[in-house]
Amino acid sequence: TVCDFIFRLKGILEFACQLDNPNGVQSQSTISKSFQDLRSKVTSKNIVFTVCNSPVLIWPNTGFQSSVESLTEASACGDILQWIESDDGGSKKSSKKKDKKKSGPTVVNMKLLFEVTEPAGNTAPSLIRVSTQQHCVKMPLPLDCALSVTTDERLETVCTGLVEALNKQLADMEEVVLQYRKGSSFLVPQPFHFQLPEPAGLITVVYPAGVPDSQLQAVREDLHRKFELPCDRPYLRRANAFHFPDAAYKDGYLRNPHIHLNPPNIEDAKLYLVQGVYSYHHYMQDHVDDNGWGCAYRSLQTICSWFQQQGYVETAVPTHTQIQQALVDVGDKEPRFVGSRQWIGSIEVQAVLNQLLGVTSKIMFVSQGSELATKGRELANHFQTEGTPVMIGGGVLAHTILGVVWSENTGQIRFLILDPHYTGGEDLQTITDKGWCGWKGPEFWDQNAYYNLCLPQRPKSI
Amino acid sequence: MGRSYFVDEAVEEYLSGLQAAPGSCVTGLLAGQSSPQRDFVVLAVQTPHRESEGQLKAPKGVSPLDDIDVEWVTEHAKQVSRMLPGGLCVLGLFLVTPPELSKDAQNALKRLIFAVEKYIIKGRLWELSEEDVTDRVTLHICSKTKKLLCKTFDVKDPKSSAKPADWKYQTGISSSWPMLTCSVEVDLQIPVTGSSSDNTDKCMKDGLRRWAKQIEAAYCLINGRQALDDSELISGQVKTLSFLCHVDSTFELRHMFEQSELGERSSALVQVCSGSMRVRGVVHCRAYIHNNKPKARHAAQAIKRDIINTVCSRVEMFLEDLCINEGSQKGLCSGQQALPRRVFAPMPISGLSVCDYMFPDESTADVAERLKEMLDCETPEEDIDTIFSIISGFEITDSQDDDSSKHVSEIQAENPKIQKPPKYYAGKLF
Repeated sequence: TVCDFIFRLKGILEFACQLDNPNGVQSQSTISKSFQDLRSKVTSKNIVFTVCNSPVLIWPNTGFQSSVESLTEASACGDILQWIESDDGGSKKSSKKKDKKKSGPTVVNMKLLFEVTEPAGNTAPSLIRVSTQQHCVKMPLPLDCALSVTTDERLETVCTGLVEALNKQLADMEEVVLQYRKGSSFLVPQPFHFQLPEPAGLITVVYPAGVPDSQLQAVREDLHRKFELPCDRPYLRRANAFHFPDAAYKDGYLRNPHIHLNPPNIEDAKLYLVQGVYSYHHYMQDHVDDNGWGCAYRSLQTICSWFQQQGYVETAVPTHTQIQQALVDVGDKEPRFVGSRQWIGSIEVQAVLNQLLGVTSKIMFVSQGSELATKGRELANHFQTEGTPVMIGGGVLAHTILGVVWSENTGQIRFLILDPHYTGGEDLQTITDKGWCGWKGPEFWDQNAYYNLCLPQRPKSI
Repeated sequence: MGRSYFVDEAVEEYLSGLQAAPGSCVTGLLAGQSSPQRDFVVLAVQTPHRESEGQLKAPKGVSPLDDIDVEWVTEHAKQVSRMLPGGLCVLGLFLVTPPELSKDAQNALKRLIFAVEKYIIKGRLWELSEEDVTDRVTLHICSKTKKLLCKTFDVKDPKSSAKPADWKYQTGISSSWPMLTCSVEVDLQIPVTGSSSDNTDKCMKDGLRRWAKQIEAAYCLINGRQALDDSELISGQVKTLSFLCHVDSTFELRHMFEQSELGERSSALVQVCSGSMRVRGVVHCRAYIHNNKPKARHAAQAIKRDIINTVCSRVEMFLEDLCINEGSQKGLCSGQQALPRRVFAPMPISGLSVCDYMFPDESTADVAERLKEMLDCETPEEDIDTIFSIISGFEITDSQDDDSSKHVSEIQAENPKIQKPPKYYAGKLF
């Protein structure tokens, strides 16, 4: 079942409580009571959902009231779209139509509001003073609930589902807060969404802020068991969090430009592609002018970005200098290598992946470019089992291989190439139209040069 | 091109009825509503006679103008401000002088108007927006010729000079001004650090200020639709008014967390406090908006300011009273005490109402006395609309009409009328 919509509800609820003695026995029940009050607030009739960029307001707990007459509880949730004003007033580049079909579910963003003009009672205002010494605790609870639905789902069902999700998230947050509290030191509970294989779908996990993934291993093991996930690859690290289709990547790099391409139509051939998400690194980015010498460095950066975004490492993508320093550190290069414009090859890429990321790689050697056409099986296997981007260096050039279309019977092969030699801006249209990310045939390689390929291996961890 | 003041005829009546002792001056306030195009004056009140607390001050100045008790005028202005519902405010001053003082009257008026503005805005929890009119009117009346001289000063600019303005009388200026009302639930938890009364005041002020920002940022719905834009508010069609606040109840937190990456703030804010204060209950709010093509968002702004003002006024009054009664003991005792409650009464000008605050041990007789003193108007006690609410399980009686309210709450009947002199809030501010 493909879900057409994701309804996402956010709001920062304030958690506050007064503890007489943070280390005392009473404090746990005081904290729980505060959470209980928040859950009551969220199920009260004063809760209001507002749909961002629209006049739509919904009171989910009053037998469904909405500010727009035509939207009733029986409305299909897809009807909400006509009320939402898009930010740019329509797509600027109409030639991007082919992207639309690949852009995934539509995200409907909502915010949580609280009506203060329908008081439950009519108590006269009073001032209550407490004069005992207390620890006053205030903490934001960044609520973030997401529901995947099909377009014909009733709006009422969606809203009820969101209220339930809020309730559950508060309960999860309470658990995390209590578990990680030390006296009067509280960690903010943060929700993360993960897109798991069906039937689990989109789930949300609450992690304590500031506790690194490495210390949450046991939590992930439990969840892997619960959702029957394979135990050798990460699904629930923070970096694996679901990227909402409408969110821009703040760092500005393009993600997976290859998905906008149509694979070549070869008879009897199968498609083997990189798995997961990588960023496109190329010449001239980050104010580094590496035109003419940095191609292998950029391919290496693309590979590092893959390991970071799949959650295997928390380190940032290394700069040219950091890459060079790593090679000096392992004794592969002299100190004056740092700051130079010297090229590197697959062996160096393998060394740096090991040094900085703890990732091992296999090296494949090909004595002539023409031989690459015969490596279909190896590459297909690689993309199937490891699914990591491959760096290939030879002649005077380095590239990244993101996949192959290969026929076991006929041996026909095409290579999906990400070219680090591009010097322009992050313009998807240019990059795909001009083939900076594109499908190439065996004639792409220098038929006489020898090539080394670096095939990074996934660590077996969660 | 100066401003135009449209003034109710009842104000004309009041001003011409003023009697000044020969050779002396009379000061007073002018109240109403400003809009970008024009201003409306619906009330004039002379400065009440001040009960001197000690020996009579010998006239110190050369002229009666120097004898004007600036402090008392500003105090009166502040008290009257508290009595005006949303949308209405003190717009300026009038000064009646004998002919020989007319020349110096302008200087006196300028001094006064700046002093009044400065005093009124102290402790206020909301800021003027760019659209707010900052011109205030000064009206000079010659006691012999009855000639009027109307000018304005821009109180945002201490160096501003007087600009001419029009003063036009009309009947029934405010008779069809729409009234907006709503009841707002307030529940603020405010930690108190330190133990002196100054600390308590500061903490309370900070807590209220954060809450005020939340109210200002709230969505206001008029008749179920957001009052954001320049759409006009059609008089007679305001049926419902609601406020939807962002769920995070302290602006500070939301500001903090939206500015930074969520991951940067990883732990709670913990303060060791000597105690806490909680302001809790339902407040009744009211605002008026002129009917010269008013915009929905101005109406929203007027009622929001009323909400903020009413909570702030009550707390201020309560703490002032506490200071007088408990002296330096404040901050050391605990318990729940009722805040002064709001009552409404018809204004001398038809169509509008004013408000006052009643302490639990007061009665409508006290309110009537205060209205006489501060607003120079007689109000029959039965016209004072007490919107009484539940205190420990008693019945609600509530009415939002100006004319009616023969509702006598059970609480009223049970409390004996304590004969106390009406309170003049001494004006201790945060």
